[in-house]
Amino acid sequence: MKNWIKIEFPGTSVNVGFARAAIAHFAAQLDITLDELEDIKVAVSEAVSNCVVHGYREKSGNVVVEASYEGPRLEIIVEDFGHGIPDIATAQETGYTTLPEERMGLGLTFMGECMDELRLYSEVNVGTKVVMVKNIPERQLG
Amino acid sequence: MVRFSIDVIGQALVAALDGDLDLHTCPQLKDALERTLEGHPHVKHLVLDVKDLTFIDSSGLGVILGRYRAVQARGGKLFFVKANPHIQRVLRLSGMHRIAGFVDSTKEALERV
Repeated sequence: MKNWIKIEFPGTSVNVGFARAAIAHFAAQLDITLDELEDIKVAVSEAVSNCVVHGYREKSGNVVVEASYEGPRLEIIVEDFGHGIPDIATAQETGYTTLPEERMGLGLTFMGECMDELRLYSEVNVGTKVVMVKNIPERQLG
Repeated sequence: MVRFSIDVIGQALVAALDGDLDLHTCPQLKDALERTLEGHPHVKHLVLDVKDLTFIDSSGLGVILGRYRAVQARGGKLFFVKANPHIQRVLRLSGMHRIAGFVDSTKEALERV
C-alpha cells in the first residue's frame, strides 16, 4: 500500500525543526531503526535549511515537503520556488558554499551520506527540488 | 529549541548544550559563545558537553567550526564531551573528528588542554 503526506510552509528557519520532526514521524510508520531515523532527520534538516538559506535568502516563499513509501522505499521531496542554482555540478562539490560565513558547504554531502539516492533539479529564478530515497530493509522479528 | 549553559574554567570555555542545534537555534549559541570569547581574551580552549544534545546538522556544525577557528587562533583546542553515536556520526561526516578530541567528561577535557 502506498502512503504519503505533503506539507507546505513558509521558508523560514523556525520551520526546519518542524519539517524534520514531521517527516520522522511519517517515516516511523515503517520498520525503521533509530539510526535510519536520525539519517532522515539530518537529510530533511539540510534540505529545508538550503531552501531557507539559498533558495529564498532575502526573499520569502514557501517550501513543499512530500514524503511517500511503498514497500521498503521511502521517498522524500523538498522543493522551493526561489533563486535556483546556476551550476548544479559545482553546488554538489563538498565544501562549496555561496555563503561562506558560518556555512560549511556540507548540506548536499550530508544528504547524500544519509540517504541511498539523491537527485537535485534546479532552474534559475524558478526553484530547486531535491529528491531523496531511503531504502528500509525488511527485518525479521526476534 | 536549544538550551545551553556557559562557564569559563581556567583557560577553557565550557558549554553544555541541550536540545536541537540547527539553522534556527544556532544563532543563539553563536552569539553567546562569541560574547564569552570576546569578554575573556585569556580563554584558549572550547569544551562542548553534548551529552544532552539531541540533534545537530551542518548549520550547528558551522557555528562550532567558526568558534573553533577563534580558539585555534589563540593556540587552543576543541573537545566534545559524551557525544552519543548519532552526534558522533554527524561530527565524523563533517571531518570534525580530525580537529577535535572526544572525551567522556569535562574533567578529562580540562586535563588534556
